[in-house]
Amino acid sequence: MAKTILKPLFLGSLLLSVAQCATKTYDFEVSWVSANPDGLQERSVIGINGQWPLPTLNVTKGDQVVINVKNSLGNESTSLHFHGLYQNGTTHMDGPTQVTQCAIIPGSSFTYNFTVDQPGTYWYHSHVRGQYPDGLRGAFIVHDPEDPHKDLYDEEIVLTFSDWYHDHMPDLLASFISIANPSGAEPVPDSALVNETQNLSVKIEPGRRYKFRIINMGAFAAQYVWFEDHTMQVVEVDGIYTEPADAEMIYVTVAQRWSVIVTAKNDTNANFAFIGSMDQDLFDTVPDGLNPNVTGWLVYDDTKEKPVPKEIDSFEPFDDFSLVPQDKEKLYDHVDHQIQLDMKMDNLDDGANYAFFNDQTYVSPKVPTLYTVLSTGSNATNPEVYGSHTNQFVLDHNQVVEIVLNNDDPGKHPFHLHGHVFQVVHRSDDDAGFYDASNHSAFPETPMRRDTILVRPNGNIVLRFRSDNPGVWLFHCHIEWHVASGLIATIIEAPLDIQKQLSGKIPQDHQQACKAGNVMMEGNAAGNTVDVLDLKGEISFPGPLPAGFTARGIVALVFSCVAAFLGMGVIGWYGMAPIKAKTG
Amino acid sequence: MVNVFAVPVFFICFRECLECSIIVSVLLAFLKQTLGPDHDAQIRKKLVRQIWFGIALGVFICLIIGAGVIGTFYTVGRNAFDSAEYIYEGVFALVAAVIITLMGAALLRVSKLQDKWKVKIAKALEQKDSMGFGKGKFKVWGEKYAMFLLPFVTVLREGVEAVLFIAGVGVGLPATSFPLAVICGLGAGALIGYLIYLGGHRTSLQIFLVASTCFLYLVAAGLFSKGVWDLEMNAWVKLAGEGAAEAGAGPGSYDIRQSVWHVNCCSPGENGDGGWGIFNSLFGWQNSATYGSVISYNLYWLVVIVGFLVMGFKERNGRYPFQKSAPMAPGDATSESSSGVVGKIDAPGAPRAEVREIHT
Repeated sequence: MAKTILKPLFLGSLLLSVAQCATKTYDFEVSWVSANPDGLQERSVIGINGQWPLPTLNVTKGDQVVINVKNSLGNESTSLHFHGLYQNGTTHMDGPTQVTQCAIIPGSSFTYNFTVDQPGTYWYHSHVRGQYPDGLRGAFIVHDPEDPHKDLYDEEIVLTFSDWYHDHMPDLLASFISIANPSGAEPVPDSALVNETQNLSVKIEPGRRYKFRIINMGAFAAQYVWFEDHTMQVVEVDGIYTEPADAEMIYVTVAQRWSVIVTAKNDTNANFAFIGSMDQDLFDTVPDGLNPNVTGWLVYDDTKEKPVPKEIDSFEPFDDFSLVPQDKEKLYDHVDHQIQLDMKMDNLDDGANYAFFNDQTYVSPKVPTLYTVLSTGSNATNPEVYGSHTNQFVLDHNQVVEIVLNNDDPGKHPFHLHGHVFQVVHRSDDDAGFYDASNHSAFPETPMRRDTILVRPNGNIVLRFRSDNPGVWLFHCHIEWHVASGLIATIIEAPLDIQKQLSGKIPQDHQQACKAGNVMMEGNAAGNTVDVLDLKGEISFPGPLPAGFTARGIVALVFSCVAAFLGMGVIGWYGMAPIKAKTG
Repeated sequence: MVNVFAVPVFFICFRECLECSIIVSVLLAFLKQTLGPDHDAQIRKKLVRQIWFGIALGVFICLIIGAGVIGTFYTVGRNAFDSAEYIYEGVFALVAAVIITLMGAALLRVSKLQDKWKVKIAKALEQKDSMGFGKGKFKVWGEKYAMFLLPFVTVLREGVEAVLFIAGVGVGLPATSFPLAVICGLGAGALIGYLIYLGGHRTSLQIFLVASTCFLYLVAAGLFSKGVWDLEMNAWVKLAGEGAAEAGAGPGSYDIRQSVWHVNCCSPGENGDGGWGIFNSLFGWQNSATYGSVISYNLYWLVVIVGFLVMGFKERNGRYPFQKSAPMAPGDATSESSSGVVGKIDAPGAPRAEVREIHT
């Protein structure tokens, strides 16, 4: 089952791309294909143009990208999100359904058209509820003719790590969000994959310097990644160049990207394993027989053996918080607007487990939020029009926004913000509790920036960004289970500027998608267009668990007490009677 | 406290010991009466010694049987119970509730029990020629040692009964909860037996018995409700698996669809909530009540109320409600076997009549 995938990228493509502002057009027909990436189980997966794994998209900074999607799945709607792209001016191309677009229903087509003006390692995936782990995920690489690190490496190789399930997401989701799973235990992956396969061989030339673009495209599991006997030099995270930093092992949460330079040894005496190891702390229970690891090899010499990976004593990954962006952007030290998000997991009165920001679990509105922005005029700045279940925050243009996220849950969560990178100004250790603004370690002068960041169990993070990108952007945990259970906030950034940019400019096929799916395109979250502050008819959702004694409980308790006393009265009547009979 | 004092076990011991001590007290009183001061003190002393020896041997054999049962239970049975804990606990709680209920009714008629045994002993001693203990040598032996055999057999039978009941009731209880309950139960039973022997004030004794029976029924109602709750919990744990166990007393520890009330505290199962554990074993308290547990609790009391009303009616009127006045069936009066607990309850009127015959 060992496959050999050799995809050294031509440096030549970099030279070709000097011809700037090219338009890259792709036709994607999304359909079911069959695959067996871990050699354990054949299953249907979501492919593109009849193929899976999905193609890696290679574009150059400045390119216009046009992707014509045709949904031929037959039984599922879909959409595409380009993870990490700012989509400045094109928030309607961001991809999350019921947020910036309507889902592409089976049989219909939809075009994504945007300009990429940022270099780095990205990926694209479906942003329909829980869909991408069924296969709809691929690498999206933006090459940079002016890469500040271009002298540090000779060749690029994309390595995607991911977890893999043998069952389909809709089935897994049905059992995940269910009364039968009150603790919200996430389904545990069946395998780990690298480049959507296992036992991958990567051909290595001695002495050559390789830039590995590492992407975790998984649904759930973060992976520890290390190359045996080779040190990594981190030069990019989530599209942001960093000052080179040495790392022996990195911890890649789902949706994170890391570019690391690995310099090959000068001899071909041996081959070396590299390993992705799923973080089993995330798993509620580790099933017997689960192999949490996926192995590949740096193959210097085909004829030599591929060594079995060595056992390691402990996982000691590099701390990305210590990275310094190459552009040395200074800390935004003046905060205009603060968003506090306290997250927790809890049960609603349908018995299932949900995720909450500030006691509110996210439920999609009836009208995609972007279309509410565009159809509510000056009311678009009023958060109320976006409904009661969207965890919405309306931001003014060009402000420094701080997100304080308190993780009131004993799990690790990778949080992702669409449309931005953020400065990570603070990240606590485990069990630090809520963030205390008056008592924290000094903020770094040039904080690391990225778009997906891990918050530790019962810890907190503080993120800052500038609201310079009008649009509707989600902020959510990138564990796909938690997306489904509602761990999402909606950032509505400069709504009046969005109106200026996009009013009347939503493409015909976007409107067509809503019509085909019978989704309202106008009005507030409830679809009311006359009084947009009236949320009547909004999507209903399970309420909170009844607290303690409700009327029903009190009645039951009183009734039980009365029954007991009545019963004891009768016992007394019976018990005392014979004496009377005897003596009387 | 649940861990050191098993209330049902206490009551079982109390009940069985009381019955034994009543028999013993009747025997002793009988000897006192028939072999008064004008009789040979030597014979009387010998017979009294026989009684005590019979008791001692009965207790001893019970202890052996009890040890055997407990030993088997904890070595063989325990693991089997663990895997389906809720089912076993539930079923045994239901069984225990039924047993306690039937026993409790009899407890109210302890005075009748006393009378009944007087009849039996009188029969055994006076009619030994016709009924006897056997033929030939054995018959002679039986006659000679009647004062040994009666308490011996009684203690043995009540003791074995107690052991089996305790084994049933105690399935879900920790071993530590037994000793104190057993000792207290035996002590209380012996004390009441002694009071009866002394012929204490009958009304105050009856008040005491009524009070303790009420208490007993509260326990039984709680057990009955808990039994149903356990069975429902078994279904829930099967559905929710690990998650239900992890949830402690919080959301997910119970089936919301069945919930009548739920408070995230005061769980009888949680460690450190000892007070609620007592509350649970005394009154069947649950921090998470279900339709099943609430309805079964009320249904239990309904049945108890109707049952006692019917029995009371029958005692007063000699017939069941809605039944035509009819001569009592002869079988009703012969509730000799105390293992037929129901029989005791069903025939409360009859033995009294016989007692009167003897006394006159």
